[in-house]
Amino acid sequence: MYVIKRLITMVVTLWIIMTLTFVIMNSIPGDPFASDAKSLPEEIVKNMRAKYNLDEPLPVQYVLYMKDLLHFDFGPSIQSKTRDVNTLIAEGFLPSAILGLQAMVVAIILGLALGIIAALNHNRGLDYLSMIVAIVGISVPSFILAPLLIKYGAVEAGILPVASWGTWQHTILPTIALAVGPLAIIARFVRTSMLEVLSQNYMKTAEAKGLSTVYIVCKHGIRNAIIPVISFIGPLFASIITGTFVVEKIFAIPGIGKYFVDSIFNRDYPVILGTTIFYSTILVLTLFLIDLCYRFVDPRIKMTSGSE
Amino acid sequence: MKKLSLYILTVILVVLTALSGCGKNEKTAQGGSAKEVDQTITANLGGEPYTLDPAFASDTTSYWVIDHLYEGLYSYDKNGKVVKGTASKVDVSEDGKTYTFTIRDDAKWSNGDAVTANDFEYSWKRVLNPKTAAYDPSSFYYIKGAEEYNTGKGSVDDVAIKAEDEKTLVVQLDTPIKFFPTVLQGHGFLPVNQQVVEADEKWAAEAEGIVSNGAYVVSAWKHNDEITLDKNKEHWNTKNIGLDSIKFKMIADATTEYQMFKSKELDLVKSIPSEAIDQEKSSDEYISSPSFSVYTYSFNVNEKPFTNKKIRQAFAYAIDRDAITKNVSKGGEKAAYGYVAYGAEAPSGKDFRDEVSDYYSFDADKAKKLLKEGLKEEGWSTLPEVTLKYNSEANHKKIAEALQEMFKENLGVETVLENQEWKTYIDSFKQKNFQIARMGWVGDFLDPYPVLNLYSTKSSSNFTNWSNTKYDKLLSDSLVEQDEAKRYELLHQAEELLMTEMPIIPIYFSSQNALVSKKVEGIRFDALTSPDLRFAKVTE
Repeated sequence: MYVIKRLITMVVTLWIIMTLTFVIMNSIPGDPFASDAKSLPEEIVKNMRAKYNLDEPLPVQYVLYMKDLLHFDFGPSIQSKTRDVNTLIAEGFLPSAILGLQAMVVAIILGLALGIIAALNHNRGLDYLSMIVAIVGISVPSFILAPLLIKYGAVEAGILPVASWGTWQHTILPTIALAVGPLAIIARFVRTSMLEVLSQNYMKTAEAKGLSTVYIVCKHGIRNAIIPVISFIGPLFASIITGTFVVEKIFAIPGIGKYFVDSIFNRDYPVILGTTIFYSTILVLTLFLIDLCYRFVDPRIKMTSGSE
Repeated sequence: MKKLSLYILTVILVVLTALSGCGKNEKTAQGGSAKEVDQTITANLGGEPYTLDPAFASDTTSYWVIDHLYEGLYSYDKNGKVVKGTASKVDVSEDGKTYTFTIRDDAKWSNGDAVTANDFEYSWKRVLNPKTAAYDPSSFYYIKGAEEYNTGKGSVDDVAIKAEDEKTLVVQLDTPIKFFPTVLQGHGFLPVNQQVVEADEKWAAEAEGIVSNGAYVVSAWKHNDEITLDKNKEHWNTKNIGLDSIKFKMIADATTEYQMFKSKELDLVKSIPSEAIDQEKSSDEYISSPSFSVYTYSFNVNEKPFTNKKIRQAFAYAIDRDAITKNVSKGGEKAAYGYVAYGAEAPSGKDFRDEVSDYYSFDADKAKKLLKEGLKEEGWSTLPEVTLKYNSEANHKKIAEALQEMFKENLGVETVLENQEWKTYIDSFKQKNFQIARMGWVGDFLDPYPVLNLYSTKSSSNFTNWSNTKYDKLLSDSLVEQDEAKRYELLHQAEELLMTEMPIIPIYFSSQNALVSKKVEGIRFDALTSPDLRFAKVTE
């Protein structure tokens, strides 16, 4: 019952997002067919608009779009002319998802490690070191980190390719560039919640029972400390596997990150809608899965739909 | 607890060493492979070509690939001269209105089909068909019946493009324009294979579907990543084509592209970041060449104070263009003391630009004097507030700020700056919602006419509100003038008039700054199109 209700809410949420996007995107000035100020003759523009149903009034366009959407058809890309939005997303999602997953794995593992090290060494050298690493990670934006990685990791050292896509070596630098920010944030989250957990009575009890530190931390510590981290990982996961504009651009990754930005600059309406809906779908799905996750991590959290 | 942290640290260290170790293996693999000299180069396209169907292409990225795939009736030779391409013979009637093209007997499509006159008739009418919604049908409007058909006022049967037989194409013009061969170099005029297009509407979306008649074919297309062109064995001129294979990478970031050139992953970078120009200027891999484009500021001559010609001139004289190109834009640009950019060759053999001297200069005293006179003519005691508009991308902001400073310094005029994102900007530009605003133009083809014509009264791209019957007449006379020298004279007169009336102030002519690996020679840089790689060779 709970799951069904959630699914219905998700569809409604998506519909609202789609409608809002439709309204907002049509209210920004600009024309998909005007790439520069050289004006095409009016008749030519009219022909082009007709081809994409843009000559219809907005409500009609909306209905036509909804109709296609019910068949999971995002329509053609105005910019690309010969390719449709479904293909763009399908092709671009794979590289973005691979990078995103790799970055998430790296970020979670190292983030957890850094956070735990810091918490266990509270207010000592390792704590400060971990947190310096974390603060640097948060403060250095990817558009600075990525060129630095290219300069020192690829050009100077000559061990890795500068950019582009193909072999797994190509994924190393962008994975690092993507992972550093989330890693740092996760580390800080884990440290805070771990510190709190460490002072709990059940931890003291476990210690008093003579259990080893590793066992206590792994069995009781991480499990409790990770709950706030999970709620943060959800949205992060959704946004990172759907690609990022900056990192994908700098490393020339054929992902979908650029469509989120370029489509708006180009006023490529079907791509704006397609990418927004795609991203929102992944986001609500992830949030849903995260909620399910909670239950496994902490059985005290109940799946209820009422107001208990 | 200490044990645990030690343990975790060790794990991190092991992972890191493993990662860097993997990288090292790759290096030895690369260094170990023997380098053979094959005729392949890797260039950067800059991004995904939106389409490889010449009827719809509208951006330089797509054009660069398309130029290597298809061949029109005319083509460019090694030196950039317009020569016969798919046509082996061209007859022009006495009155300049009828062109009869004979298609080469050995002209073939990459699938082995013969290229026929029919293919051209089909392709051109396809562009004109209003349902096709092609990008550039307007350059066909010189042809009889073309505009009527395209705008839904006439029938396809009245379009004077006819394949008389397999190999003969007859085209009739409304206006006997002398530069029709140059117009025919436009991408809309490239042929497509009728059977292929009719069989699949999306034939140009993937490598497999594309059938071309030019120097190269698409052998692989990894979208947003890389496109590989191989020599078209069926092409009539294939023995003179240099490279066996061209790899186009799609790297959008200028710094990455530059780094890839430095690490020898790219052999050609067609526009380097302006920060790198100073560093590369003395390198023998650096090539700077003119681009047929001009960077201007447009006045709205219906908006005060630019209703007055002298005030417009005053602003033009107040700009130190050399300082802008040397210290602000820094991309190897040339200060513009005229409107038509370098690149159009006059019948005298000289460049159109070099045939005449500067129309104005940087002269602060003269600028102040003109401003004073202008104010007096209008009866104003002070200048109404002036807002300078530009779009927020690239270095337009820096240039706008330099201008603001120069107007203040040299004219004593305070201006307000305002910027907008590109599409919003062109929207308000087209609504003539500005006093003075930035705009740049690239010529449609290498002739002064199309760029000058932008400011004719009829032009749909003239947003200055400036209209001058004498100017219009000079341009329309130039269209029918059959003597090239006289035609250029008319165009010079038109430019002089434009530069006296000053509805626009040219700032600079852009240039292309490329890096070419030393092992490659024979790349031709063109003022209008992207580098021509067809006759290039790898030497070492």
